[in-house]
Amino acid sequence: MDLVPRLRRFARSLTRDSADADDLCQSAIERALVARAQYQPGTRLDSWMYRIMRNLWIDTARARTRAGQTFVAEEAGLSVGDAGDRVVEARVELTNVARAMDRLPPEQREAVALVLVEGLAYKEAADVLEIPMGTLTSRLVRGREALMRHLGEAA
Amino acid sequence: MTPDPETLMAYADGELDDIAAARVARAIAADPALARQVEAHRALRTRLADGFAPVAAEAVPDRFAALLVRSTNVVSMEERRRARRSWWPITGAIAASLVVGVMTGQMLGRGAAVIDGQAVPVAGGALARALDTQLASAQDGAAVRMIASFRDTGGDYCRVFAAPAASGIACRQDDGWVVRRTAGGAAAQSGAYRQAGSGDAEMLAAAQDMMAGEPLDAAGEVAARSAGWR
Repeated sequence: MDLVPRLRRFARSLTRDSADADDLCQSAIERALVARAQYQPGTRLDSWMYRIMRNLWIDTARARTRAGQTFVAEEAGLSVGDAGDRVVEARVELTNVARAMDRLPPEQREAVALVLVEGLAYKEAADVLEIPMGTLTSRLVRGREALMRHLGEAA
Repeated sequence: MTPDPETLMAYADGELDDIAAARVARAIAADPALARQVEAHRALRTRLADGFAPVAAEAVPDRFAALLVRSTNVVSMEERRRARRSWWPITGAIAASLVVGVMTGQMLGRGAAVIDGQAVPVAGGALARALDTQLASAQDGAAVRMIASFRDTGGDYCRVFAAPAASGIACRQDDGWVVRRTAGGAAAQSGAYRQAGSGDAEMLAAAQDMMAGEPLDAAGEVAARSAGWR
């Protein structure tokens, strides 16, 4: 299992700034290691980790209220390595989708992140978020419609 | 019948059962606007998945490798004290999964500048002794530390080690511990105890490449040692 790359991706889809995303990811791993006794064997480790990260993210986002709305400079890490055209394009696209995600309300963003980015089934995503299926699908629909509008504009 | 937006989305995601899906498929066949919406849902999924894919493909930053190697050691020390505690195997599984994740990321981020095949030195002296006897779970203050143990695809036991001068991977063969890979000892830091760093991460990445299955947990290491690593 290669969880860390996926956890970083999930963090990044929740938090646009890459440094914040890695901080979130690190905190989630630390919390998981501390809380490891609560992990139930036989259940999915990835879902458990997603839930920990999502709960941390909610806490942080609440604490920060809307202070984090400032425009973030393009991430320094992105210029590392030889940036061929394809790489640059991929980075621009990442910035575009991340910005569109950032405009979603948190409850829609987390649903979209789990299903469309992380590829979880509806049931699995609803379990991670601890919400009923109907709530998940309605958030997912609204989130997707908003994303289609935002990304349509950006294109 | 016009499916509601949730149902249409679920259809696009392949989440409907056969009967419901067939019903939506009929509605779509009759209405090009619905077909376009399904396409839009699928295109958005692809776009988001592709958009964030580079993050998962990036080399995992060293801070995670360091965090996990450190936590593995912390966990291992606890394990030594509380070997009978029932949650230990779970802890091991979590740490192992996370560490392997770091390896994968590191592997993607690095070229093929390994010394494999160039020379096959056999470990001797203190290194050979450490490889033979030391467990990753019990090695406070040792000069050579064992980072991970695993079986390679050929079935040999291999161990990732970190010494002040170098990190490397050695595999047990007939004539002893053959050092398969090494990374320079740039991390020998002014006599200080060597921290888990990029050299270790590089070796863990190489190990991931050689590994058949999962790394050994603490019990697996003990068993392998008892069997003389053969």
